[in-house]
Amino acid sequence: MAETEESTGPPATLIDPIEMSKLDTKFREEIHSMPNGEELSACFACSTCTAACPIANIWKYKPHQLIRMILLGMRDEVLSSDEIWLCLTCFQCQERCPQKVRVTDIFFDCKNLAAEEGKVPPNIVGLGKELLEKGQLYTVTADWEREDMGLEPDVPGLSVDGLRNILKETRTSKLVDGDK
Amino acid sequence: MVISKMPVYNLYMGCSVPANYPNYEAATFKIAKAYDMQLEYMEGVGCCGSPNLRAIDYMGWLTVNARTLAIAEKNGHDIVTPCNGCFASLKDAYHFLKHDADYRKKVNAILKKESLEFKGTITPRHFVEALYTDIGIEEIKKKVTKPLDGVGIAIHYGCHLLRPVDVTEFRPEYLDELVQATGASVVEYPLWKQCCGATVLPVDENVAIRLARDKIKSMKESGAEFITVVCPACGNQLDLQQLGLKESYGEEYNLPVLLYPQILGLALGMDEEEVGLSMNRVPADPILDHLTG
Repeated sequence: MAETEESTGPPATLIDPIEMSKLDTKFREEIHSMPNGEELSACFACSTCTAACPIANIWKYKPHQLIRMILLGMRDEVLSSDEIWLCLTCFQCQERCPQKVRVTDIFFDCKNLAAEEGKVPPNIVGLGKELLEKGQLYTVTADWEREDMGLEPDVPGLSVDGLRNILKETRTSKLVDGDK
Repeated sequence: MVISKMPVYNLYMGCSVPANYPNYEAATFKIAKAYDMQLEYMEGVGCCGSPNLRAIDYMGWLTVNARTLAIAEKNGHDIVTPCNGCFASLKDAYHFLKHDADYRKKVNAILKKESLEFKGTITPRHFVEALYTDIGIEEIKKKVTKPLDGVGIAIHYGCHLLRPVDVTEFRPEYLDELVQATGASVVEYPLWKQCCGATVLPVDENVAIRLARDKIKSMKESGAEFITVVCPACGNQLDLQQLGLKESYGEEYNLPVLLYPQILGLALGMDEEEVGLSMNRVPADPILDHLTG
């Protein structure tokens, strides 16, 4: 029998061990109580969601891992991850989940929690600013094109105040103010 | 004898169609007129906020869309929209508020300032679903005077039209049959369910373009000669972004993208100007060679 070489460093592991003391055991309850989060704990980690995701190959944390991380309480890692913002919101993961976990909806919940802590990609804050200031994401600039098509140059019935007044009182205004 | 009444709808246009796709808006109106669907622009509404607003401010997004639904409830007519993004926002908010009494209370407390209340008495719908369900394929076919010659069209439904299905209640057959009603053939292709990449555009442009490119490639390789879409964001990804693929991928697909009402409009005998064909980015006039009758 060949003798094994004496190991000097820490034991080799495939992945970094999880720091148990840093886990937030309340995180799963937090998500559970958010819109469409009820089915979260039904996940049995089959990773069908990851197989369904068209861009999971470029993600460090795959969709099934993110769900597992939520269940374990890895709050900081999930809410600071790029992945939740890269989600296409195509709902392929959610559609195929055999346990009816609303995976895409849960990522929306995660983005809202990240936003509450001000962790939002700058371009998305920019869209929030656009909504708060102009009341819409696209504004008619080429009104001659509308007239060419026999349409009113201004969109009939359009009013941006309703949306702006609502968003002034909700998180969007906090995010946009915080960015200044 | 049954005397049919002209159905009336609240038309929710959103922000992208009027700003970027007046040809889609106009063609939608002309189709509606041809089938006696009365579309009335909604008063006092604006943008739906898009999935981006839902991501950063769920309560704001929910309230904005509940407000639109509550305004429509005042006259009791269903909402129709030609945009998948608007459809998803309205239908998701509608579905959620129908099932969650706590959030319904919170939202209505805000809407009360404008003397509005969400009750869930009207349904938000995509225009093509209303066309399919309320008019029906047989009636649609009856008015086709210049059917297409069986040319192969690949359908991009768009994620937010199809999924989550318990919310959208949209079935892919609707659009399949609507395309076939014009005389065209539906080309099946492997990536038919895949996302166009529009939502990720503000976060990672390269990923967004890769998704659009993979989709277009899959359509082309399956023999499609044209693409049809029912959403301005999907249209942008597959049509406008297609022009950039020459530089980014060294690939040229030359696969014209038409909004569905443009195709039906042509089959009903409208000319290319009436459906605004010159505004499509990849030149779409080759479709004219496939009209018969």
